Amino acid sequence: MSEQETNILVVGGGISGLTTAVEAAEAGYNVVLIEKEPFLGGRVARMNKYFPKLCPPACGLEINYRRIKFSDRITFHTLAEVEKITGQPGDYEVTVKAGARYINDKCTGCNACTEVCPVETPNDFNGGLDKRKAAYIYHQQVFPFQYVIDGSVCKKEACAKCKEACKYDAIDFTMKPESFVVKTGAIVLATGWKPYDASKMDNLGFGTSKNIISNVMMERLASQNGPTGGRIVRPSDGKEAKRVAFVQCAGSRDENHLAFCSAVCCLASLKQATYVREQYPDSKAYMFYIDIRTPGTSYERFLNKVREDENISLIKGKVAKVYEDPATGDVIVEAEDILAGKKIKVSVDLCVLATGMQPTVSEMKLPPEVKINENGFVVADSTRKGIYAVGCAKDPVDVSKSVQGATGAALKAIQTVGRKA
Amino acid sequence: MVDATLVKPDLDFVKGVIAAGGESLKKCYQCATCTVVCNVTPEENPFPRKEMVWAQWGLKEKFQGNPDVWLCHQCNDCTAYCPRGAKPGEVLGAIRKQSIREYSAPDFLVDLVNDKKFMALLFIAPAILLAVVIAAFGNFGIPGGEVVFTKFLPVLPIQLIFTPALIFGIAVGVLGVKKFWVDMKRANGVRTGDLKGSVIETAKEVLAHKKFKSCGINADRYASHLLVFYSFVALGIATLIGALYIDILHIESPFSFGRGTLVKLFGNAGAIALLVGVTMMITNRFKHQEKLGLGSYFDWLLLCIIATVALSGFLAQLTRIAGAAAIAYPIYFIHLVFVLSLFIYLPFSKLAHMFYRGAAMCFMKYSGREAQQAAAVSTTPGTGQSSGPGKETGSE
Repeated sequence: MSEQETNILVVGGGISGLTTAVEAAEAGYNVVLIEKEPFLGGRVARMNKYFPKLCPPACGLEINYRRIKFSDRITFHTLAEVEKITGQPGDYEVTVKAGARYINDKCTGCNACTEVCPVETPNDFNGGLDKRKAAYIYHQQVFPFQYVIDGSVCKKEACAKCKEACKYDAIDFTMKPESFVVKTGAIVLATGWKPYDASKMDNLGFGTSKNIISNVMMERLASQNGPTGGRIVRPSDGKEAKRVAFVQCAGSRDENHLAFCSAVCCLASLKQATYVREQYPDSKAYMFYIDIRTPGTSYERFLNKVREDENISLIKGKVAKVYEDPATGDVIVEAEDILAGKKIKVSVDLCVLATGMQPTVSEMKLPPEVKINENGFVVADSTRKGIYAVGCAKDPVDVSKSVQGATGAALKAIQTVGRKA
Repeated sequence: MVDATLVKPDLDFVKGVIAAGGESLKKCYQCATCTVVCNVTPEENPFPRKEMVWAQWGLKEKFQGNPDVWLCHQCNDCTAYCPRGAKPGEVLGAIRKQSIREYSAPDFLVDLVNDKKFMALLFIAPAILLAVVIAAFGNFGIPGGEVVFTKFLPVLPIQLIFTPALIFGIAVGVLGVKKFWVDMKRANGVRTGDLKGSVIETAKEVLAHKKFKSCGINADRYASHLLVFYSFVALGIATLIGALYIDILHIESPFSFGRGTLVKLFGNAGAIALLVGVTMMITNRFKHQEKLGLGSYFDWLLLCIIATVALSGFLAQLTRIAGAAAIAYPIYFIHLVFVLSLFIYLPFSKLAHMFYRGAAMCFMKYSGREAQQAAAVSTTPGTGQSSGPGKETGSE
């Protein structure tokens, strides 16, 4: 097994991991960054806009990609996951397993392989809203800009149409998953989150109608590089989605699902309501909430701005029944309008479930001293002085807090490395 | 914001609800999931969300003449979907106990039935009463010869105890309902309505067990409650025919087949239905234990009384036929004690629901609220714009 030596290993290439890596490297430390997906960017790369400024996420990601690209201190591995962590602060040995990409770095991103690829599979990057080929790329702004072949569905040599089509000799089916060891002084866990499985809430209808989607799917639907090129339409029939309901706390703050507040969903729904309103002047958005949580001056200001739009209704009362009207494909949401004191049924084109953030750090093989709390996040004090959790591995946080936390984590990791030397 | 409301919290009421099985009350954070998943609530001013906040705040007066806590059939869909484990079903059950205390007099009998401490006393008191009467009029021992229960206690003293006991139970319930009805009219600003029509409609609804059919998670309750309900009807009919035979036709019990067939038919059909129904009720509770909880002492007291009545009644008949005097008479005694308890505690135990739930369902029709219902399914939310975080709805 090959070995690499570094100062800091960062697990996860989302906004937290990227920031940690860049900050530590620019302070003069060597970093190895591993990411389990074929591209960096994590959850942020899937977004249409950031709140509250409503600027595109590319503006935060691109600068970091550039800093990584031109740094001689950062090595990154995609399709890579941690297999084992041993050692102690200042002296860890981490076994990493990297999957096969089947496309080498001769790839120019010409798209010829995708064009000829006969295999289609649900596009998980877009939350299953469309399909993709086995040879693919998320979209045109990814990093690294190098296509990938999904080994789980590709027929490889038996098909090999892409190999004929590739003019650059970039397709290589002989690639194999390989393990290697990273010797590092400190480890930063930036493993992030995944959307909570909305089908677990049997009263919210997810999976029973195509027009009931999650908030993450809504970001893709509104994105220029998404399945519809940014047109917000009903997945069932492509009709313009002019009446949209946002169902808050779909799984969050619920001890049957995620007991904690996911911290971002209120702002995300307010933001998504502006997508709808911007796209269709005659549209209406309904947001059903328990409490609107927009802490801090700038978030409060954003809430007030959104609330000024009289076509966005904020209704106090959690939605507890969602179902499709089979005749029209419309979605009916039921709630109690608490302030009016009555049950209401609202018929909409599209229902967006503001599903919460489920931390993924517990899916990792961690050394026993790293403790996970009952919600699945790393207990901050349990990580000794050498393994640090950041972003949504530690708490449910938004992008700006992730970035702040990541800068702090970089400093902590540097201290661990410095202590050894 | 000049329309301030002076909130007068009654802490004893809150403590009372908590003590009566509503421990989870304070966990509620007013999301209104309960109201939405409830299939029996009206659409206008639905429950149980508003009851949860009233109870948290100790707004006792809101519950005076509130039919909604009684419209609740405790299917517990709300409890199953509650994101906080606040168990609205249990809390409303606890509030109903407070309501029983409010309307069924005297209070001390309500307290007796509600408190685990007094469980032994609940049955020892009627047992002593019966023992004294049996010693005076019958034979408090094991009479010899063929097993004939009238040797143990003749019919006349039975009627002298049980008839007044039942009349007492029903009278207390009826007086309670009258008070409750006045309160409901006042609290809801209802002056007049179609009483006869409402009573008839309510009776139809009860006989058809319509409401139970809308329960979600706990749908099995429909069958079990239906069985128990109609078994009581059958047993009541058997008892009436029995009284007819003895008092008017002067036919001695035990009845033989032939003339006694009707009594035996209704009696045994009722007994078997009751046994099956109550067994279903108990097993359902264990089946749904994880999602809905096992229920309170109050629930179990009634379940145990009914189960004992059914089981002892049926066994008394079997042992009588088998001629096992040494077992038959003690079992018969237990049967008498529990039937007497059932009658006396009728308006104080959970069985009081037959009075107050009946009255509340009737009031729904009388006040016209049910008729409004059907028309009021909106597709556009009303007050969305005025809403916002931080606005308190506790005193609406």
